[in-house]
Amino acid sequence: MESWAIEVAQAALVLGLAPGLVGVVRWLKARLQSRRGAPPWQPYYELRKLFGKEVVVSRNASWLFRLAPYVVFASTAAAACLVPALAVERPLDGVGDLLVVVYLLLLATVFLALAGLDPGSAFGGMGSSREMTVAALAEPTVALAIFALALSAGSTNLGQIVARTLGDPAAALSPGHLLAFAALFIVMLAESGRLPVDNPGTHLELTMIHEAMVLEYSGRYLALIEWAAALKLLLFFALLGNLFVPWGVAVAAEPGALALALASLVVKLAVIAIVVALLETRVAKLRLFRVPELLSVSFVLALLAVTSSFLAR
Amino acid sequence: MDTLFARLVVLESSAALILGLVLLWRRGVPAYVSAFTWQSIVLAATAATVGWFGHHGELYVVAALLVLVKGIAIPRLLGRMERRFATQRELAPYVNTATSLVVAGLLVLFGHAVMRPVVAASELPTRAAMPLAMGLVLVSLFVVVSRKKALTQVVGFLMLENGIALLALLGAYGVPLLVELGVFLDALMGFLVMQIFVYRIQETFETIDVDQLDRLRH
Amino acid sequence: MIFALLLLPGLASALLALVVRPYRAAVGGINAALSLVPVGAAVALWREVLAGRVPVAGPDDVLRADALSTLLAFCVSVVGALAAWLGPGLGDGWNGGQARRFRIFANLFTVTMLFAVTTDNVGFMWVAIEATTITSALLIPLHASKASVEASWKYILIGSVGIALAFAGTVLAYFDFSTLVGRDTAALSWVVLRDVAPALNPRVLELGFVFILIGYGTKAGVAPMHTWLPDAHSEAPAALSAMLSGVLLAVALYAIVRWQTVVRAAVGHGFAENVIGLLGVLSLAIGALSLVAQRNYKRLLAYSSIEHTGLICVGLGLGPLGVFASMLHLLNHSVAKSMMFLLAGRVLLRYRTAEIDGVTGLLRVMPWTGGLFAAGMLAVIGLPPFGMFVSEFALVRAGFAGDRSVTIALVLALLAVGFVGVLAHLNRMLYGPPPSAVSVGERGGWALVPLGACLAALVVLGLAVPPAVHDLLTRIVGIVTP
Repeated sequence: MESWAIEVAQAALVLGLAPGLVGVVRWLKARLQSRRGAPPWQPYYELRKLFGKEVVVSRNASWLFRLAPYVVFASTAAAACLVPALAVERPLDGVGDLLVVVYLLLLATVFLALAGLDPGSAFGGMGSSREMTVAALAEPTVALAIFALALSAGSTNLGQIVARTLGDPAAALSPGHLLAFAALFIVMLAESGRLPVDNPGTHLELTMIHEAMVLEYSGRYLALIEWAAALKLLLFFALLGNLFVPWGVAVAAEPGALALALASLVVKLAVIAIVVALLETRVAKLRLFRVPELLSVSFVLALLAVTSSFLAR
Repeated sequence: MDTLFARLVVLESSAALILGLVLLWRRGVPAYVSAFTWQSIVLAATAATVGWFGHHGELYVVAALLVLVKGIAIPRLLGRMERRFATQRELAPYVNTATSLVVAGLLVLFGHAVMRPVVAASELPTRAAMPLAMGLVLVSLFVVVSRKKALTQVVGFLMLENGIALLALLGAYGVPLLVELGVFLDALMGFLVMQIFVYRIQETFETIDVDQLDRLRH
Repeated sequence: MIFALLLLPGLASALLALVVRPYRAAVGGINAALSLVPVGAAVALWREVLAGRVPVAGPDDVLRADALSTLLAFCVSVVGALAAWLGPGLGDGWNGGQARRFRIFANLFTVTMLFAVTTDNVGFMWVAIEATTITSALLIPLHASKASVEASWKYILIGSVGIALAFAGTVLAYFDFSTLVGRDTAALSWVVLRDVAPALNPRVLELGFVFILIGYGTKAGVAPMHTWLPDAHSEAPAALSAMLSGVLLAVALYAIVRWQTVVRAAVGHGFAENVIGLLGVLSLAIGALSLVAQRNYKRLLAYSSIEHTGLICVGLGLGPLGVFASMLHLLNHSVAKSMMFLLAGRVLLRYRTAEIDGVTGLLRVMPWTGGLFAAGMLAVIGLPPFGMFVSEFALVRAGFAGDRSVTIALVLALLAVGFVGVLAHLNRMLYGPPPSAVSVGERGGWALVPLGACLAALVVLGLAVPPAVHDLLTRIVGIVTP
């Protein structure tokens, strides 16, 4: 019973924190660029406003267009329940492993791309095709990086990977681990639509990917999609933080450990947010044809991660 | 103790290999020079690590020489060339970047495959990292054959030498010191001669793109 | 003492050319005179070896000359002397700066080659062979043209990369040794390596040998790593081409033979022989087929070098009889090819073109040079009564004795292709009306004396292998295939 409470609390926490994280990254970026910027809680206002607005749907759009936001949000939220953000021992930990998480996120991506194609607008189709290019290239990397982690932990189960690294701290410094981290970090940038792959802050038609797909959405549909996007970002951050630097994650269901887990989660998210903000300030967006090259870098890193975890066994 | 030793050398070898991959991913000369510099320093650190854990005092000499020759002297000369040729970026290599990276990954796997009997034959704590050194050798070789700018090829060659030095360090804690000194001398002289030729190619062809060197195709 | 006489004269000449500025012809004269000393030293070594002794010198006996070393030392010092006598810097068309550069680096080049073949330590052997690349690369563009810069870039890049791979192979062998015996300076001594070889891990040594074969094979012009060779040999000044083709290839092959011995002792007969034989046939094919299509006579000679390297490799894969034939062929090739490149240099100087089409009436323009050139070409394609006929014949016999008739049939077919190709080109050069711009008449006749001596040596080797040579070769076979 208690563990279910933790599960629910964790899901609620993740859902609640997600828009704030997006706000923090935006705010950090603004400060780094010497702008005042919107306050970190701005995304909450935006979501509230969007939920209140009426929905305008193109006459050409089919039921798919209306269904997509719910699928996107639901699958992302389901993935959020599987990630050990706070505690290792949770009832849903046995339900799905890292592969399930990744493919739930991919399901969301596919529906978003379908929805981008559905109304038949030029930008939506362009965005969808680009998104699929990126996803197709990122997928093998993700699979390999997971394989690298699973090799050293002996399981693809997220809780076990975390527990295993907690048990053997030196493993966190092993090259397989570090390389897989680097590979997943690049994939995270690509999948969550950050620089240098996609620019979340622009609507310039020549470059946008994510924004092009959701261009036709409005009202609560848009709110769901934006929320799901924020959730995805938080999920990736939490995965990176807790899989590779697992210290602080609660192993036992005690109040003290949970408080520590919450504090460490916030710290990790903040650190990764700062890194991402710094990165987005420093690098320019890659031209689209360079994106496959970046993803092949991450692919090679993941491949090396697998080989060196294989060696270190 | 041995686990720490093994972990450290694997970490250092992976770093050296990844710095080698920079040559395939980046296009500007400054990135190549700094990648090579860092790789040499990592190599020196590996030499010091092996010297410390393997109790071989002469490896400190090798580490110091590595820093001096490959960490400071050669990068300086490369830096001078870089300022001269900074505008000549590696824009259109024979094999495009994405394919190159995938090929590099496969080469690393191939390195693992060919080194299996070698790793099996060894009992040193450093043996696990030997395939990575072989990977670096193969990747550098690929850089030399797939890139068009003379300067890129030179850096690829230097990294090839680093890879072999790494292999020697991991497999046998370095070759005997006198031979090592001879190798250093050769490396330095070879680099100097190559440098002369890069300048001379620029003088005669007004580019360092070796694709333009086509007078002798039969 | 013998080793000092072998190595120091070259160093002294290089130093002399380095300190005397501006260059004077006297430096070249002293160099030429000094270059005879190593030849004498090599002959002395020869006598020692035939008397059953193995001269050693230096700490840890780092210098050691067995029969194989002696053969190579002799070839290198003779060709080195030829280059010193006939190279730039003895009152000819080259300017002082070029002559000075030639005298410095050509001497260092010779010394590094001599050191490579007389050191017992395979690590130092590698260092010396790598140094040959560095010292010779600077000589290829003696007069800077686009073609010569291109040739030297290819030479230094491909050569350095190849030789670096040979070092990787050396490291693997050393690794194998040190896992067995522990870290030891003696590990890189060839004698020690050969003695412990049966206990080494054969899989590791096989891998190492592949690297070594690719590495030294690159320098030896073994296909498919031969691509630098035709360019470098055709663009280099004649005296350097003679050294590159006549002995550098032989020195690289020497390194392969040394390692082949170790690998055979560890792995057993078969692996090394098959790999070498395969690459040998490939080189032979590429060399012979390229001969047909050549339009440049220096490149023609260069491709012929690839062909002969291939032949030597084929022989190395054929057991004791094959090794005997190979070593005899190596000696013949050193003499013949250095003579041919020096003659080609004379032709180039007169006709001012390296195109075969630009050279006609050679026999009328320069009767002696033309005659020697024609005879040398016939020797190179393996006609009697020249030495190469004998060594090729021995090789074919070794092949049939070793039950490799298919290989040998292929070899003979390829030799025939090369034969026809060269003869057609040679015909066009020798006869016909000379171009109007070319003056008729032999000049600088004294230079023909050493070249004529080379041809005479080839004839002697072709009529009957002298007992001293035969004994030396037999001893080499004893070392390489115990």
